Amino acid sequence: MISTLSKKHSFDMVFDSQKVYRLILEAMSNPGRIVNIKKYADKLFGDNPAFLAAAMTLLDNETSFNACENGRFSDEIASLTLAKRETLEDADFIFACDFGDIKSAIQNAKRGTLSDPHKSATIAIQNDGTPSLRLTLAGPGIDGRVTLDATQTVKCALDLRDAQKHEYPQGVDLLFISSAGELAAVPRLVREVR
Amino acid sequence: MNKNYNFAFLDEGSKREIRRASLKAVAIPGYQVPFGSRELPIGRGWGTGGIQLTLSLIGPDDVLKVIDQGSDESVNAVNIKKFVGLCADVKTTTDTREATLIQTRHRIPEIPMTNDQILVLQIPIPEPLRVVEASEEATKRMHAEKDYAPIWLELYESLVKYKRIAIATEYPCMVEERHVMNPGPIPKFDNPKLHDAECLCLFGAGREKKIYAVPPHTKVVSLAFDDVPFERESFAGKRCRLCGSAHTYLDETFDALTGEKVYQCSDTSYCKEARGQCV
Repeated sequence: MISTLSKKHSFDMVFDSQKVYRLILEAMSNPGRIVNIKKYADKLFGDNPAFLAAAMTLLDNETSFNACENGRFSDEIASLTLAKRETLEDADFIFACDFGDIKSAIQNAKRGTLSDPHKSATIAIQNDGTPSLRLTLAGPGIDGRVTLDATQTVKCALDLRDAQKHEYPQGVDLLFISSAGELAAVPRLVREVR
Repeated sequence: MNKNYNFAFLDEGSKREIRRASLKAVAIPGYQVPFGSRELPIGRGWGTGGIQLTLSLIGPDDVLKVIDQGSDESVNAVNIKKFVGLCADVKTTTDTREATLIQTRHRIPEIPMTNDQILVLQIPIPEPLRVVEASEEATKRMHAEKDYAPIWLELYESLVKYKRIAIATEYPCMVEERHVMNPGPIPKFDNPKLHDAECLCLFGAGREKKIYAVPPHTKVVSLAFDDVPFERESFAGKRCRLCGSAHTYLDETFDALTGEKVYQCSDTSYCKEARGQCV
């Protein structure tokens, strides 16, 4: 009992949230840049503390999420943020913890409408493994082109998103988060240059 | 710092909503993301959109600069700095290079901003199509359909009437070839600074409840015709009376005694620095 109680999250909802938000904002504004949220994720417990740090920064009872069949992680998000569980099609945030979740997450995520493109999903994808690919990205936030050392997970997610052929400004925004707290963002307008 | 309020005044739920809106705005450059604008201890229309963005962004390590019409010392700038200082206890500065966060009304600083800085602009009327269409529902549809014919017609009518496009501020621009955006009440002199900028620009309209953004290195093109290119205000032959600069945006003032028109830099921080270098 004592050991259970001592495992209390020490993530500060005011100051740590602000730091994590600024890092996510930096990553979104500079696609391909990798920021590190480990310092703040280490203040959280559970299987996916880096995901949880992002969730605690962005989610609350006004938002909905889907954790792709990961019941334990879903329970953690719901209890810590009070966000509502939702289907993949209607969730504001989708957390794809396993490689196998990426396809259904990207194919089913809401993409917004032409008049309300902000009513689209942000998909956070677990991105562990050794980067074995060099991807060239271009788009807003990038000075010409940028090279990203990427894992197969990143490549797969970008290909799946491209295959959806969303008509801009509709689309989904991707966050790639590793267990080591490394976070990179690829907003909807940023594309791989082949 | 006033301990009776949450850090940076707003409650955490409000900050989270504004943060989510700002991330969507960055993902869709130039698109106006609606948000639930909060009450602040100043009236709407006095910079509440910019303040809410600043309060949601700011942390203890930030250094804040606030300018109004280019000046660090005007009433709006001084009071916003005081307010944020009271509720967030952050360092403030007048030095553009030292600031991590710059909130501005009516100007973009003359000193080019860097990638680790964020520019927050206070916006009174975010909708660039409001001059041609009063209905919000209609302008939303126009943006959705990329139906920008009426704003082009407005520019053409101005050209026919005045032999030039007579829009001094809030000069519309096209962002990433998709959304027409109001750059705010900055003079069109500052419009080119938004194109391919190094820093992130966030625009907040508190009264109109909209947030939009221009990320770094984004294509921002002021609307113009093929045969009538976009032109900034020209200060040819004029210099700042204080620092001698000939390439900055100049305010025209009038000497009541001599009747002489004189010019000086609108960006007081830049002007002070330039004078320091002259000594």
